[in-house]
Amino acid sequence: MIQVQGLSKSFGKVKAVQNVSFSATDGQITGLLGPNGAGKSTILRMLYTLLKPESGSAQVDGFDVSQSPIEVQRRIGVLADARGLYSRLTSRENIRYYGRLHGLTGESLENKINSLMQLLDMQSIADRKTEGFSTGEKLKVAIARTLVHDPQNVLLDEPTNGLDVMSTRAMRQFILRLRGEGKCVLFTSHIMQEVAALCDQIVIISHGEVSANGSPDDLRRQTGHENLEDAFVAVIGSEEGLE
Amino acid sequence: MMNKILVIFQKEILDNMRDYRSWMTGLFWALFGPLILGGMIMLLGSSIRENVDESLVLPVLGAENAPNLIAFLEQQDVIINPAPADPEAAILSGDINVALIIPPDYGEDFSAGETAKVQLVFDSTRQSAMVDINRAQNLLEGYGNYIGLLRLSLRGISPEVMRAIQIEEVDTATPQSQALIFLSMLPYFIIFAIFNGASPVITDATAGERERGSLEPLLINPLPRGWIAIGKMISAMPFATVNLIITLAGFAAVFRFLPMEELLGIQIGLDIGTLLAVFLICLPIVFLACAIQTLIASYAKTAKEAGTYLPFIGLIPSLPGLALAFLPVKPELWTMLIPTFGQQILINQFLRAEPISVLNIVVSAFLTIILSIVVTFIAIKLYEGERIITGK
Repeated sequence: MIQVQGLSKSFGKVKAVQNVSFSATDGQITGLLGPNGAGKSTILRMLYTLLKPESGSAQVDGFDVSQSPIEVQRRIGVLADARGLYSRLTSRENIRYYGRLHGLTGESLENKINSLMQLLDMQSIADRKTEGFSTGEKLKVAIARTLVHDPQNVLLDEPTNGLDVMSTRAMRQFILRLRGEGKCVLFTSHIMQEVAALCDQIVIISHGEVSANGSPDDLRRQTGHENLEDAFVAVIGSEEGLE
Repeated sequence: MMNKILVIFQKEILDNMRDYRSWMTGLFWALFGPLILGGMIMLLGSSIRENVDESLVLPVLGAENAPNLIAFLEQQDVIINPAPADPEAAILSGDINVALIIPPDYGEDFSAGETAKVQLVFDSTRQSAMVDINRAQNLLEGYGNYIGLLRLSLRGISPEVMRAIQIEEVDTATPQSQALIFLSMLPYFIIFAIFNGASPVITDATAGERERGSLEPLLINPLPRGWIAIGKMISAMPFATVNLIITLAGFAAVFRFLPMEELLGIQIGLDIGTLLAVFLICLPIVFLACAIQTLIASYAKTAKEAGTYLPFIGLIPSLPGLALAFLPVKPELWTMLIPTFGQQILINQFLRAEPISVLNIVVSAFLTIILSIVVTFIAIKLYEGERIITGK
């Protein structure tokens, strides 16, 4: 469960995020849709405690991101745009490192790693160094690392960026699976089809502000466009930066 | 808390041990000092010995004009060679170090009891020729004094008349203390090795991580960022310490296996006790080196940028040590207040087997540790800020 109220953030004179409010509930997929540079990643970075909000607040399962960042970090799994794997460590060592940083140890950690590897069908790359992995293989390691502590809230920054068709399909199925497990899934994207296909709730961001918020049906109704794509364009005001 | 710092520490050690090339570079710096010092001792030592042991070779033009002088020189173990026709040109071109010219009217003046002139040709700016020049000058002056004294005696005058004062030279420099100039350079190399052992690890763990995009996901894990900074910093300490040990072992090997007795005329021993003392004195510097470099690496935007700062950072604290080789500084308490400078003086004292004040050791270690803690604290503050993520 993620709640955001009046969140703002500037970098110098640039107002990256202004007065953003929304909430993402458990068992639902919430998509932050917006053109490149709209402020989606900045919102996510504030939610996963890397950046401090200038004003407004955000809570994850009731814990404030500024007041109790560690409690928030325990409850979120983040797949950042930059995967950031350690190329001299094997897949297993990469996942184990994050597991240990979350306080997991011993047999329970190893069991968890093995079951994630089975789920993601990555046993063949389990004990290879990640240097030279394909984009899809790196993604699998990064996903396993994100989920090793079984977080209730999963935040994904442009999860299908740079993936081929097969990997994109696998990624989408994975997101749906997380919803099936009752997780709160929040992801950013600039791809309309993707958001339309997956999301229960869509938050449209442009120029750092929320321009529309609701279910796909709500958006169609609000804008009077049957086609979601036309609805998005009507909300944002231009097609710039969308795919 | 300790557990998670340990997790960071273990991962950094594993990660960096697999990065052979960068820690091998660090290791090279550990051997750099002993190799340079060993090479210098070999070169300088052998040139000093050669000059003292070998007979002076003196090219002479007009040797036939002064048979007695030549006989005197030959008695003093000088090898007389015929000089080239143009001695000045030969000296300019570096073929000979010094030449003696005896003019034809020498014999006439000498027999008449007048001052007979000889010419000594040399280039006083040539350091390598100075030994030969001084020896030739001394021998000629010696001969002149000897003849002068004989003439006074013949006239019935006591030679004492000529000596209003007599200079007795008391040189306190033992051969050992001259050779200790070499030892004074040791602290410089030791501190340099410590800094360079830590720098590849620290660059990779902070600036390198940010560059590869792995720092951001790491900072989302549920632990205070300060612990991450501390874990990364202490993971460089074993590398710096290993470099310290290797450098000390290298110096011990140089002093043990080079024929010091033959080269410098003295025996320098770095016994286990001295090595251990120097090692312990340097341990606070390991802390300081890791702390300073963590600070720099968390400030730099990229590994490349960090790489441009770090060699200078290692150089600055080791410079006083280089100066110590030429400007002796007394081990007063104020010098111990300057981190790394105090240790360099202490190392010198240990090598010279001088009495050492325990207070000095304690003060220097204490101040270095305090400074390291302050620097670590600033590095943690940088880690906690947003600059570490945005780079701005």
